[in-house]
Amino acid sequence: MNKKKYFNYLYVLPAILFVLVFVYFPIIMNFYNSLFRMTSYSDVKTYVGFKHYVKMFNDPIFYTAIKNNFLYAGFSILFQVGLGMVLAILLEGRFIGKKTGTFFRNTLFIPSIISIPAVALLWYFIYNPQIGLLNGILDVVGLDQLKTAWLANPKTAIYSVIMMSQWQYMGYIMVLLIVSIQKIPKELYESAVIDGANEFQKAIYITIPSIKSMLAVTTIITFIGSFKLFSEIFIMTGGGPYNTTQVLGTYMYRAAFKFDEMGFGSAVAVVIFAITFLVSILQLKSFKST
Amino acid sequence: MIKRKPLYILNKTWINAIFWILMLLIIYPLFWMIMNSLKTSTELFINSFALPEKPLFQNYVDAWNMGFADFFLNSILVTVSSVAVTVLLSAFCAYALARLDIKFKNLILYLIIGGLLLSPQSALISLYKIFDALNIYNTYFAMIVPYIAFRIPFAVFLMYGYFKDFPGDLEDAARIDGCSTLKIFLKIVMPISKPIIAATAIVSSIFTWNEFIFALVFIESEELVTIPVGLSRFRDALQTNWTGMMAGIILASLPMIIAFIFMSKSFIRGLTAGSVKG
Amino acid sequence: MNKKVLAILLVVAFVFSSFVLAETVNLKFLHRWTQEPDKSFFEEVVKEFEAMHPNVNVDIQTVSNDAFKEKITVMLGTADAPDVFFSWPGEFSNRFIRADKVLDITSYMLEDGSMFEYVGSQLIPFVYKGALYGLPYRLDGKVFVYNKEIFAKAGIDKAPETLDEFMEDLDKLAALGMKPIAFGNERPWAVSHYIAAVNQKSVPEDIWAKETDPAVGTWSDPGYVEALHIYADLIPYFNDYTNALKHDQARVAFMQGQHAMMYLEIVEIPEIERTGPEGFIDKIGVFPFPATDGPGNQSYLVGYPEGFLVNSNTKHPEEAVAFLKFLTGRQMGRLELEMLGWFNGIKNLVSPDEVKPIVYETTQLILNSDKMVNWLDSSLHAKIWAVYSVELQKLTDQVTTPEKVMEAVEKIATEVRSEF
Repeated sequence: MNKKKYFNYLYVLPAILFVLVFVYFPIIMNFYNSLFRMTSYSDVKTYVGFKHYVKMFNDPIFYTAIKNNFLYAGFSILFQVGLGMVLAILLEGRFIGKKTGTFFRNTLFIPSIISIPAVALLWYFIYNPQIGLLNGILDVVGLDQLKTAWLANPKTAIYSVIMMSQWQYMGYIMVLLIVSIQKIPKELYESAVIDGANEFQKAIYITIPSIKSMLAVTTIITFIGSFKLFSEIFIMTGGGPYNTTQVLGTYMYRAAFKFDEMGFGSAVAVVIFAITFLVSILQLKSFKST
Repeated sequence: MIKRKPLYILNKTWINAIFWILMLLIIYPLFWMIMNSLKTSTELFINSFALPEKPLFQNYVDAWNMGFADFFLNSILVTVSSVAVTVLLSAFCAYALARLDIKFKNLILYLIIGGLLLSPQSALISLYKIFDALNIYNTYFAMIVPYIAFRIPFAVFLMYGYFKDFPGDLEDAARIDGCSTLKIFLKIVMPISKPIIAATAIVSSIFTWNEFIFALVFIESEELVTIPVGLSRFRDALQTNWTGMMAGIILASLPMIIAFIFMSKSFIRGLTAGSVKG
Repeated sequence: MNKKVLAILLVVAFVFSSFVLAETVNLKFLHRWTQEPDKSFFEEVVKEFEAMHPNVNVDIQTVSNDAFKEKITVMLGTADAPDVFFSWPGEFSNRFIRADKVLDITSYMLEDGSMFEYVGSQLIPFVYKGALYGLPYRLDGKVFVYNKEIFAKAGIDKAPETLDEFMEDLDKLAALGMKPIAFGNERPWAVSHYIAAVNQKSVPEDIWAKETDPAVGTWSDPGYVEALHIYADLIPYFNDYTNALKHDQARVAFMQGQHAMMYLEIVEIPEIERTGPEGFIDKIGVFPFPATDGPGNQSYLVGYPEGFLVNSNTKHPEEAVAFLKFLTGRQMGRLELEMLGWFNGIKNLVSPDEVKPIVYETTQLILNSDKMVNWLDSSLHAKIWAVYSVELQKLTDQVTTPEKVMEAVEKIATEVRSEF
């Protein structure tokens, strides 16, 4: 009988090993590495204690990065969850036929499965000041005083990247919400209709409360996703102009691979971990409570 | 109850109009890109709105030959192998946790699903050092291994929920017949679990196909590069093939789009089952 | 009887092959040309080298240019490091030399006299603290390439030689209704070439020579501010959206005739011939950055060769150095000319009638310059360049002043000095 039990452990062993060695262990290593100064091509390791953290918290670019992550989070929640919810409700309402509804839903969803570098390059071209789509359209409609170098203008750069992400992910969140809405029992609506409620009231009093937990979940995953930002910024602006579009992910990459300061980079990684971990715990807590 | 007048905007025409505008916002940029990918570089710079003089499908051939073929093969290799292993290991693990007798079951479950809380970015630098020490830096393993590791939590999460809800009668019947656990798992449970396996495989594939940061940092040689990194490197400081790059972008996006069009139901089920963005 | 003979033959074959196999040398060769025609050139070089050395197998690895600058530091730290690899001379290579990652090849080059096959001024960039560490593969220099037709239209009959003449010419060109200078600075290595020119002209030679040493440089000479004023005076003549355009996007606009000139690397001229409009190559002329009346040496030319180094940890130094010599030597130099239309650092490699006049003219500029000034970005410590480049982009957008730029540079230089 005992032999069988041990055999069962084999089922879970490989999975556990992978996760422990390649997910948990590196994170723990980060804490250790963040106390040293080291480069990638030399074997010398110098103990510096918390110096990296002190430098980080005194670096204005660090705060720009965090600000950008939060900015990104704010916009994402507004557009992806907020607007996504409105669109989801509309699509599931009686104003749009089933066939057209499915077409709308699928089309809005497609950008989210295109790989980020492809989307980033697509929008890089759209934002190009000389030959890009955006400036071209502004020309055609006579708004050419609004033309600018969208990704090179410090006032517009981060927002340009943010809006690109909304284009990409709004459909994704919308679909998640649609599935939740579809699970709402029809009887709830029937009694409301008998009471004379119109579409707007149905949405406010029935639909939205019923998908509360999904709204919470999507808000939190959008928030966490905003702190994992890297490829979009890396490909479109490289953190520029003048470091105004840096986010924590690119800030870490820059330290570790451009300046060759693996120790400092590890310290940034610890900060990224701390933030995403805390918010993820929040997600679990809210998930449990609903 | 007094019937409130519906808001002016809440009527069929307006709402449909809003959606059609959104459709335009999504479809036109893609169309614009496709159009420009069929031009010569000079045409592109003269007027990026005009239709190409002569559709230059050669750009696609060039993009394919200039390295895109390799990116594609690399992506397929990495995705298929990592997804296969992920699904396999996760299925075994999730089944055991859901239906077999194991001590510390909950601890193990939380440990593995806890992996979802840890962002790949934070592990980047340490993994780089680990892979170098293991001598797999700049090899396919440098991508496949972390992809498996970071996808297992979600895969286990998905399949655990599914297996937990499994009706126990089939297994009981089989056990009475004398089947070993392994046989039950492989011959009975797995074949019935095709939907969840498909969903897990699809979600994991989307992640690995589009993954960027690990592929960027752990791979050096051009020969091993996958599509996302290949695209962004498809240019050199002094010579960029703009229209070729656009063709490459379209080529990179097509597989997923085509897969989606044919399998949209499975996609959406997989993505919504756990409601967690990769 | 037959079986025995067969067995003996097999054993002999085994022993023999293991001898040969044991002798096979594997070299890892890393370069940054992922695109044609250079990619095929290197493959050809490897093929010929392997033919001459049957026991050597060379594995080619490529990493594209933009990624290379970051990747090489990482690659040298791994067990998979290349034996022979591309590098830009100057601080870019020097930090590897200081970390003992580069092989000193002085003795190898002296023992068979091959050192004297190379043009002296092209070897100097690879010398560090008196020893030679690499060999030049490709000459390069930065010049203004100008459209003779447009110049003629503006009433300019010869290329400017002094800064005053240059500014006058720019005004004449602007009067034609165009932005005279094409410039794409999205990746700031582009502005580093301008600044290398103006810095070296505005600061006395002996100060400038030491400034790039991160342990010593203070960047406090007022000449650096003066240099930035010269650059700032040019800004109104650049095209719009300078910081948003990639270098080659601006170059296309130049080739389309939308601008009168562009500050380009000489190696781009074959590229212009290949991708430019029909006949454009015959319309262009070149001139180096005009002389100023500053205290620097006015006869320097901006530009350093690119070359290759040998990893000090290589298991096969003899073969690696042999490959390096072959790659940069006379025979491959001729092939380079044939396949790429370009020159390496070997003396008297080519005669004037073998190439287009414009190409010969520009390479003579290089070969006749006393000395070359390195590209600013590869000659600086990474952290200093990080600050300098950001400030220069701000300056190009006209949101800061030359004084503020140098203030920031001095500050980071102080911080870097403390690390040594």
